Parts: sequence; structure tokens; C-alpha cells
Amino acid sequence: MSVLREAQRCVANHVSCSSLNAFVRLADSSAILSQAQNAASTTGPLAGKLIAIKDNICTFDLPTTASSRILKSYKSPYDATVVKQLREAAAIIVGKTNMDEFGMGSHSTHSHFGAVKQKRVNGEESSAGGSSGGSAVAVASDQCWAALGTDTGGSVRLPAAYTGTVGFKPSYGLLSRWGVIDYANSLDTVGILARNVQDAQIVFDTLNKYDPQDPTSLLPSTRSRLRSSKPRSRPLRIGIPVEYNITSLHPHIRSTWLSTLHYLQETHGAILQPISLPSTRHALSAYYILAPAEASSNLAKYDGVRYGTRAPSPDGTPESVLFAKTRGQNFGKEVKRRILLGAFSLSAKAMDNYFIQAQKIRRLVQKDFDAVFKRSNPLLEESFSAVSSDSPNVDVIICPTAPTPPPTLESLSNQDPLDAYMNDVFTVPASLAGLPALSVPIEREAKGVGMQVLGQFGDDSTVLDVSEMLEGMK
Amino acid sequence: MFAQPSRTAAAGVLRIPYICRSCLRRASAQSLTRETVLPVLQHRTLQTSLPEAKDNAPFRKLLKDEAKKKRQQEKATSSSKKSSKPKSDPWLEKWELTVGIEIHAELNTSRKLFSSAATSVNEAPNTHVALFDLAVPGSQPQFQKETLIPALRAALALGCEVQWKSTFDRKHYFYQDQPNGYQITQYYEPFAKNGSITLYPHDFPGGVSPENGPVTIGIKQVQMEQDTAKTIQQPPHTHLLDFNRVSHPLIEIITLPQIHHPTTAAVLVKKIQAVLKAVDSVTAGMEMGGLRADVNVSVRQRDSASGKHSYSGISGLGQRTEIKNLASVKAVEEAIIAERDRQIELLESGGVVEGETRGWTLGSKTTKRLRGKEGEIDYRYMPDPDIAPVVVGEDVIQHLNRTLPPLSDEWMKTLTESPEYGLTSKDASTLITLDDGERLDYYLDIVHTLRSTFKSDPEILQRVGKAAGNWVLMDLGGLFKNETWDPERVAPEKLSSILTHLLRKQITGRTAKLLLAILFNDPHNPQTVEEIIKEKDMLLKPLSHDEYVELAKKLLEEKSDMVKDILEKKQMHKIKWFVGQMMGRAAEGAVEPGEAERVLRVLLDLPES
Repeated sequence: MSVLREAQRCVANHVSCSSLNAFVRLADSSAILSQAQNAASTTGPLAGKLIAIKDNICTFDLPTTASSRILKSYKSPYDATVVKQLREAAAIIVGKTNMDEFGMGSHSTHSHFGAVKQKRVNGEESSAGGSSGGSAVAVASDQCWAALGTDTGGSVRLPAAYTGTVGFKPSYGLLSRWGVIDYANSLDTVGILARNVQDAQIVFDTLNKYDPQDPTSLLPSTRSRLRSSKPRSRPLRIGIPVEYNITSLHPHIRSTWLSTLHYLQETHGAILQPISLPSTRHALSAYYILAPAEASSNLAKYDGVRYGTRAPSPDGTPESVLFAKTRGQNFGKEVKRRILLGAFSLSAKAMDNYFIQAQKIRRLVQKDFDAVFKRSNPLLEESFSAVSSDSPNVDVIICPTAPTPPPTLESLSNQDPLDAYMNDVFTVPASLAGLPALSVPIEREAKGVGMQVLGQFGDDSTVLDVSEMLEGMK
Repeated sequence: MFAQPSRTAAAGVLRIPYICRSCLRRASAQSLTRETVLPVLQHRTLQTSLPEAKDNAPFRKLLKDEAKKKRQQEKATSSSKKSSKPKSDPWLEKWELTVGIEIHAELNTSRKLFSSAATSVNEAPNTHVALFDLAVPGSQPQFQKETLIPALRAALALGCEVQWKSTFDRKHYFYQDQPNGYQITQYYEPFAKNGSITLYPHDFPGGVSPENGPVTIGIKQVQMEQDTAKTIQQPPHTHLLDFNRVSHPLIEIITLPQIHHPTTAAVLVKKIQAVLKAVDSVTAGMEMGGLRADVNVSVRQRDSASGKHSYSGISGLGQRTEIKNLASVKAVEEAIIAERDRQIELLESGGVVEGETRGWTLGSKTTKRLRGKEGEIDYRYMPDPDIAPVVVGEDVIQHLNRTLPPLSDEWMKTLTESPEYGLTSKDASTLITLDDGERLDYYLDIVHTLRSTFKSDPEILQRVGKAAGNWVLMDLGGLFKNETWDPERVAPEKLSSILTHLLRKQITGRTAKLLLAILFNDPHNPQTVEEIIKEKDMLLKPLSHDEYVELAKKLLEEKSDMVKDILEKKQMHKIKWFVGQMMGRAAEGAVEPGEAERVLRVLLDLPES
């Protein structure tokens, strides 16, 4: 299909799918189409492709709200590096997608602009997953060719699984975070949502470059070391983490997991290797201490003084600072909950028992992964990461992305926040260790089921390759 | 280091000053009085908008006053040994004071700590601000490694161990001058530790330390951190924010609680200030707002069981209180005295000292409670996830150590012991302390010039150091008595030229003083010293031998009775009277006393003396 025809189709879907609430703000449709027309003469794999941007990634032209009331009319003075890279590749920024406020949520319902929705065949509204639910739905409903999201504890992979799209979270530090609004910056990763692995790969290759403006961007020297690591095994060795076979795993998910493994064994001759990741059971707790701690710090800047929404009446009383009311009125419930959680775990009395312990668990989670992968962790000194002889030496780990298919929005309305956090149990470990992880839709038995491929840090190409093999199951 | 302090991204892109419009509008509707924000304001560093302390009385005058006071005290105690001691002295014998100090100083760097925006002092508000300085969403810190250099120099000069690895942490508190809601500092792993600074008797006013000898104060650590925005008050209700200062690099120097006298604290702050200046680490002196101190104060009984508290690994101390944001040396000393006396009085009357934060304003008699322990802010220190640890190589440290300029203690030794200078310790310490070391530079310039001028004249050479010292401190110092020091007012080459003429006896001392005054009062005079001497015909013309004889004969004839006294009564001292007369009658400096006496003795037929 020509670039222009594709653009026209997407623009038409913007109207027909508006009830899904995938976008906070769309670019002007005539502008999109004229850009598409001009792009016909441009070369390059992204030329004229419509790409949606999660609304916590800064754009110069469209507002950047992070779906928060406190930034509801905020316009960034600059483009995020990833947006700049897309524009330079002649991609068309189609709009800003709806999300959980500041990335905090698993269903894209905690938005100042209303929940993102998926419609089931029976008319029921179900969760799009979060927090990049708007980006996932925009891709799933053909409102764009691909989308950028952010993944802090699964925020790209979970919505990808729920919406039947591909969601890729690259290794931490590969894609620039300059211009990405912080939620928990030691975990925040720009991720890609696409209809298939190949499209995700194209976007990834465009963005996978060192950015001196991001202090956590991997240096060119580290990047070249990543490329020179050990080749993968032939046949492929696949790790199956036994701890992930939890009792609450939905039967459809468990059977999809099994059939996925069988497919790889039978079709690709892969060797299946049961592995143990014992720290995983603490990973979720650690994540929900670390992420809110960083969030409470990162969100301290929103005071309405230099930018953003201010409370309408005078703020600041003799007992409080100039913006107590502003923050109280303009943050949503979930954001306030996590700020409080984080402020608590960083407080002098709780620090040792919570934040420090969680950091230790984070290190253990990374060690668990290092112990099972064939490749050594390139971030560690060679002597520390010497693989022991009894290592299972796996190339990738395959597990479900989420323990259940997408719940209905109705069932979520009276859900306990802790239950929502449970959705992240399979995605959080890769986030804590900074590993590349990709959710591939495997919808043989049920809609909204994704399988996750995890690789060693920096081994993004193996993750993408194995994910592409899984697409053959469809 | 950097050539172009260009306008930065934020200023360029946004083109608006960062003043909250709605705040401005609202300012008239609601009062935001300083009282309401004081508790938060007081713990922040470097608030230059607070009233500036006037603490720049000439050091020499301080020394004089101090000496005078001492003499008076000695007189008082010797005349009536029992009665006139100050009332608090028995208390001070019973109670021992312990003080630790935290000094914040603005580093002399061209860029901010975490953005490439230029640092500035007096630029138009909000013109040197990068995105991160304003905490614009999505912006990230970029550590400017060049800012380490002055920080490392300071740490080395304070004898610290520079840490191989240090890290940055976030210190959280809400205030509108803190755009991120936290200050980036080094809480868990500071870049330098375990230093010390020694105060010698000559560092103290009057040359006497309260400890009767050198005092060494340990330095626990030195850390780097960000400054905050400047608040500009627009009475009655408006506070404007200038973000130029946000993220200006600071160092915080934390001493151990090893100070036991208020004077020691004051001298320590003054000396640290001088050290930082000497190694070119800081922008300005304390009086310019470039340096602020917090002090913690406790007292304990000297003879009874030691106190229960332990700070920085030093145990047995009393409960301490903290006094924040002291802006001058004088404020440090007076606040400590006030707080010490308050604590002793409290304890003596059966009270208990509370661990609390207190404030002090210059001129007040006592410290004021700001907040108690329960009101302490929990800063929720967290390692900054975006800032990688800083690793300092041994080669960098070695290089900086090698190139560190000599410190005041080394100068003290050199100036008093080296024959090149030969100054008294009083003059040496005055030179080192005055004008943040600029007076010393000026003096060294002059000595250097004069030494090369007189390198083949050993007799003059040995007098050069002392003569230059006298002229720089006394004669030039006198002219600057009521004015700010400016080395260009009388350029060192000019004073060197005057002194060259003087040492060569081409002009008289009085002429030299006159020349100095002419240059001082007309700094833009394009003439050289030679030209002025020539124009005003100031060159000394010594008498010829015949003129000596003629003048002597005339005097001897006039005073024949005195000649008799000399010749008959052998009142030889009267020759000196004639010498004096000869000098008085000839043009100033034209008669050398030695030559005059020789001529007189020949005429009177007396043997040479």
C-alpha cells in the first residue's frame, strides 16, 4: 500500500475509533496527509510512516501532558531525542497517546483524559493494559503504523499483550531518555509498539544511538562491546523459569506458554531448559518500593511555579509551601498513592528496611539472570561474571507477559490497587535488571495473550530474532 | 576554559523570564510574608538577598583593637585582681564549649554543576538557565566535570583524601527556589574526606591563640552540591525568582566538632576562606555572599562525667543545637557566644538543651529558635539515578597537588624566615590576610622587581623585602585606609619605581611619600615616575665637598661658644647638634650626616669618630 493510502486509512480510523480514547491529542489530519504526500519522494524505511507518541515523551508541536491534570496544557519547548530521530527519518508524528498518569498504572485508566478502552466482540469494554495503553490501542486499531511507549515495569509489554500487538522494551540505556518525562528513571525505558517484530526492529534501529544529552545513554564504547559478545547457541537454548508457573496463572495463558515452547522445540529444534530465578518472588515488592521512591523524587518538580497547572485560588499558607494545594488538586489518586509510598520508603526511619533492601533484591534479580544466560553481563567486569560450569547457558527466557488475559474495565473499577500491581509480576524482573524484553501476541487460544522473550543485557538482537520465530505460530 | 557563555536552550527557546505570572498577580491578593517561609528558608544555603554583613574592617585595625582590649584587660586584672573579671568567666571555667562548622562556598567555575549554562554573578535575571536548571520535564542532568577542578584544589589545600569514587544524592525539600524539589549533593559518598586545618598563633588577632599554641581542627568531609535560585524581594508581597544561580556549583566543608572557643571558630572560617581564595577555588569572599556557614554548638561540664552525645564519631559531648546561615566571620563568632551563653544559662538554671535549629541575626543578643527536632525536615536522601559515580584518577590528583599554589602557612614561613623578605610575623600575617591575598600578590610583585633591579648590590638587596613590606602595608595601606583595595590604583611597577629611586638615594623618603600620594590621587596620570620626578624637580642633589665645608665653616663661626664647649669642655655630643643644623639648612636630603660630621671634625681638628 502506498504511504499516502496507508496514512488516509489511519486518519479515517482516528474518527471511527475515537471512542477508544487512545489519543490525548491528534496532529491536524490535513497536516498528516500533506506530510505523507511529501514523504512519497523520500526514501528510508520510516519515510511517511505514521507514528504515535506516548504523551510522556516531549514534542515541540503537540502538548505533552503525561495524562496529568498538572500538565494538562503543558507544551514542551523541545522535542525528545527519540522524537527528533523519528522526524529526521521522515516519520510522521500522528499524535500523543493516552496513558496512566506519569506512567503509573497497569490499565491506562488513571488518566486525566479518561480511560483507554478496547472493545470486545460482545461489546464489553476491556483493559488496554498500561501504562502505554493508548499507544498499544492506536497500533492495534490501525490508527498509526507504530507507536512509542515507555516501559518502567512492563508498561509497553503488558498493553502489547492485552491488545495483540508487539511490544518491545530494549536494554536500558540503548534508547535516549532525553525528553522522556521521568517516572522512575533507573527503570524508565523507551519502548516500541508495532504490528509485527519486523516493524519494531525498524523503529529500534532508527533510535538505537548514543545520545550525549542522556547521562544514562550507553557510550559508543559500551555499544561496540555489546556487539562483539558471544554468538548464540545452535540449537537455541530456551530457559523456562519454574517460579513463573504460579498458581494464579490463567489456564489459557499456561496452555499458550506450553504450546509456544513446543512450537520452538518442534519447529526450530530449540532445547528447553528449566531454570530457577529464585529472587523473582521478591522482585515485584522491590519494584513497588523502588519505582514509587524515584517517582516521589521525580514528581517533586511539579509545583506550578515555572510551568504547569496551578490551583485556582491562592496557594501557600503559613503552614505550607507555595504549592501544597496545587499538588493536592492536580495529581490523580494513583500518583498521590505512589508519591506517598515513595516518600515513606525514603524517609530516615524506613530507608534501611525498604529502599536499601529493595536495592539489594534488585541486585539479586540481576544475579539470577546472569547465572542462567550463556552470555555474560557486559556491564560487569569479566571476572565477576564468569559463568559457572553448571549454568544452564540459555540464550533467551520465555514466559507469559501477564498472568491473565485483559480484564474488563468494569471488573477493574472496584479492584484493590495491590491486585493491579500483581499484573506486573512477569514484566518487572526484566525491568529491574534492565534486560531487553519483547511481548509477542500468541492468540491461538484466546485474545489478549502475549508471550515474553527475555535476553541478556545488550542481547536485543537475539530477543528480536526469537520473537520473530514465534510470529510463525500464527 | 570555556569561551562563549552563550544563551542557553531554555532562554533561547522560551524567550520568557521564568516568573510565575499568576504568583505576580496573586501577590497583591495574599501576603507571603517572610515569617511564613522562614523555617524552610533558613536551612537553604547562600541566600544573598539577606542583609549583607559589614565585616570588612581592615585587619590591621582589628589587630590593633584586639591588642588594645587585651592591654586594658591586663591592666584591669592587675590593678584589681578579684573584682573586675567578666561575670561569665567562672561559667566558662566550668563549662566547655564544643563547636563544629559547615561552610558553603561558591566554586569558581565557568559552568553550572549539571548543565552547560554559564555561571554568572550580576547578569540580567534568568539569562543563564538551561532546561535542567528549571527542571523542565524530560530534561536530565549533565555533570560538568570541569567543576571538579576547583573543588579538588580546595580539598587538597585542606589536606583531604580525595575519594577514588564519589556519588551524587538528592536532598528533598520543597521551596520555590529549588526547581526540582531537591538539591543534588553528596550525602552518602562525598568526594573528599579526613582533612585538617591548623590555626597558628599568628592566625589569631593579637597573635595569641586561646589554646596557647597551634590548634588543629579536623575536616570530616568536603562535598559538592548545587546552589538554589536567588529570591529577589519586591516588598510588600512579591518575591521574584532569578534562576541564574540555580545549580551554581558549591562545596560544603564540614569540620569535626573540635572547636572550643568562639574566636577559634571565627579564625577558622577566615582561614578556610583565605585558603580557598589562595588556591583559586571560590568566586568571592564571605562578605560578597559567596560563603555561608552553619555552626553546631554544645557545652559540657569540664570536670564531671562527659556528655551523652556523639557527633561525627566524637563522643562525650552535650546536646547540640544548630545555627544556620551565618553570613560573616563576625556573625559566626557572635552567634556561638550567644548560643554558648544561652545553653550554659539554661543548664545552670536546671533546664535541658533541646536538639533544635536556631537562627541568629547580626547585632542581636541571643539566638532564636526556628524549629525543634519534631519539625526537622526529613530530606529523604536518595542516590540520583541519572548521575553516574564520579571517578577521579590518581594522575589528576597528582597534577593538582603539584600545581597547587603555596598556602598561607607556607607563605608565613617563607615571609618571616627567608632573607628575601625578612618580615615580622605580624607584617607577614597581615599581608597574607588582607584583601583575600591580593595584597600579598602585590607585595611579591614589588619584591620581585626590586630584587632583579638590585641583584648586584647586596647591601640594598638585603633591605628590599622589609622596605617593600613597610611601604605596601604602612604608606600605601594608610592611603587605602577608607577605600577598597585596588592593586591598579598604584600599579606595582610604579611603587617599585619609587622604591628604586628611594633605595638608590635619588629621592628622599618624603619625596617618595609625595610621589605615592600623587599617583594614588591620580591613578590615570599617564606619566611615569621618572617623568614626574623630572617635571617636579624632585631629584636629590647632594652638596659638593666645598659646599659642605662652606656650610660647616659658617655654622662654626656663628656658634663659637658651642665650639668652645666641644674643644675645651670635651662636650663631644654637641658635634651632633652641628650635624643636625647642617642637614636642616641644606635642601632636604642633600646633607648626609656621616659626611657632615667628617667635615666638621676636620675643621675642628678632631680625630675621626
